[in-house]
Amino acid sequence: MIQCPYCGGRNREGIVFCEECGQVLGLHTQSVLPTRQIDPSITESLSAKATWGTARFGQDASIILHIRDVTDPIVLRPSEQLTLGRSDINSTQKPDLDLTPYGALDKGVSRLHAAIHRTEDTLTVVDLGSSNGTHLNGQRLTPDQPRILRDGDELRLGKLVAHIYFK
Amino acid sequence: MQYQNDPYSILGLSKDASVEEVKIAYRRIARRLHPDVNPNNPGAAAQFQEITRSYEILMNAEQKRAYDVNANAKNSNKLFKFSLRVTPSKRAITALQEQQVVYLLAEILPDPLFRQGQQVRQSKINLALVLDKSNSMNGTRLDRVKVATHQIIDQLSEGDIFSVITFNDRAEVIINAGPVDNKPALKAKISMMTASGGTEIYKGLSAGIEQVRRYLGPKLVNHVILLTDGHTFGDQVQCTDLAREAAKQGISISALGLGQEWNDEFLDELASITGGSSAYINSANAVVKFLNDHVRNLSNAFSERMRLSIAPDPDVKLESVFRLSPNPQPLSTNEGNIQLGSLQTNRLISVLMQFQMPVKMSLGFRSIARLVVSGDIFANQPQYFQALSDISLEITERPIQEDPPSSILDALGKLTLYRMQERAQAALASGDVKEATQRLEHLATRLLALGQGELANQARAEARHAAHTNNLSDKGKKNLKYQTRLLLAQSNMDGNE
Repeated sequence: MIQCPYCGGRNREGIVFCEECGQVLGLHTQSVLPTRQIDPSITESLSAKATWGTARFGQDASIILHIRDVTDPIVLRPSEQLTLGRSDINSTQKPDLDLTPYGALDKGVSRLHAAIHRTEDTLTVVDLGSSNGTHLNGQRLTPDQPRILRDGDELRLGKLVAHIYFK
Repeated sequence: MQYQNDPYSILGLSKDASVEEVKIAYRRIARRLHPDVNPNNPGAAAQFQEITRSYEILMNAEQKRAYDVNANAKNSNKLFKFSLRVTPSKRAITALQEQQVVYLLAEILPDPLFRQGQQVRQSKINLALVLDKSNSMNGTRLDRVKVATHQIIDQLSEGDIFSVITFNDRAEVIINAGPVDNKPALKAKISMMTASGGTEIYKGLSAGIEQVRRYLGPKLVNHVILLTDGHTFGDQVQCTDLAREAAKQGISISALGLGQEWNDEFLDELASITGGSSAYINSANAVVKFLNDHVRNLSNAFSERMRLSIAPDPDVKLESVFRLSPNPQPLSTNEGNIQLGSLQTNRLISVLMQFQMPVKMSLGFRSIARLVVSGDIFANQPQYFQALSDISLEITERPIQEDPPSSILDALGKLTLYRMQERAQAALASGDVKEATQRLEHLATRLLALGQGELANQARAEARHAAHTNNLSDKGKKNLKYQTRLLLAQSNMDGNE
């Protein structure tokens, strides 16, 4: 038996793709690193308090992204869409902001985890159907349903926590 | 009738084998493939007759001489061949105290000499179009079908045989099978079609097969295209019986479902039994291109009536068979000879098989299955040709670090997606909504990773739909099934040509 490291499903020896979740099982020259599944009870304890900053995001504004335990903030000037995720050599799609240097793999960030969209003078965040979910101020987002981003919001991708400030 | 197969290769012998060697070879293969040790193995049952026949020929001095003389004569005129190439997912497997799975990828390739040599089209088609004209076809659907049929008539050339049958509660032959000589007159008949009534597929299908039978010939690709947009009631068993009869005569059936309200399991079965293909056409506008492409591929055949017989060893179990190319289609494991349709000059046929290996295996080389592919090559006289392959693997004590070849990996990755939607539907059918939604969520994740964003959204939407209604939407169900199947076709096209 091979136990799938991603969903825990049990497969017979020789099965190449998990019959439960479709992830590739134990290749010797493993090339694609799938997103780790994190026990929800662990992520629940990471929840945050709600904040209410401004939702207005002006024409010349930029985002300051503070990732927890990372000293230097990331400054972003989002165009119409900005995807967040983790790069992977073999994945067909690359995120605009690659979180790999911030421990994205260990923290359960999906390859295409979430996206920030810019509308006239607000920003919205949308979960792209990620494995471990996107949390906005501690609330889990429903995939494909955009939510307004505010100054000072806490965004959590899997276990990776970031604070967003407008400038 | 001349004996067509090579008795030496069937018994795995060289041409100078002694009587004693023939006996030993026969006994060895009988231990593997004799029906008595293989009660649930239709492939072995189908192959064993050939094996016994080969043994009889080689044991009878007179018959053996007659075969040898004839074979020499055959060798002197140049005949085309197709070849069978089989790739296992592993070359060596470890002896384990548990069951394990092995995949085989079988690829059937037309003779490369044929493509270099003559570019002249060898095959002619004997085609019946069986068109649904029930009430629901009224309007755009019927209009597009007429346009498609007109274009098909334009595509046909001298020597092709064509007929058109329309059906609702009854069938009507509007163009009798025959050569296509007066195209404007044929088109005029098509333009007269009007829609009314219900859908009874059996009547249309039997009339269509009847038309094809009139011109049934060895130089023709004999094919029925069934296009419907509705459910048929009560006559499905009759239809599949009819399809089985047709398959025996070398007629293949392709079944196309238009819109959402047709029975996909049923059309899949009709196609799988006969070596045709089934497809979902989601909009009336897609009909024209789809039908034209389909007919164009028919007229490009190298060989016809291709059949695959899979005989696993007594302790090995065949779990599933799936044709990856040219048209992805799940195939039945219960047929001694699985119909594969025609082999085109520019595209190989590839079939992926899944086997379960037994718990106790002794070390060393062992056979796991014998595959036999037979078919009729248009350019040959006689046309019949057969290729066979005995598959062996090494059983080792320690695991060997080896990944499956990329061709298998790629196909399996996509086939897994198809299986996931299949299992989600199975879970729903057994009332386990929670499992079904979870499978659909997993499917969505995998699809997104493969860059199939739109399909991933559909999978997620269906997961929500299932959670609320305990069912999939008609449209979503068909979309997921046929689109995940289509992913396999894309990977195949990249792989060759």
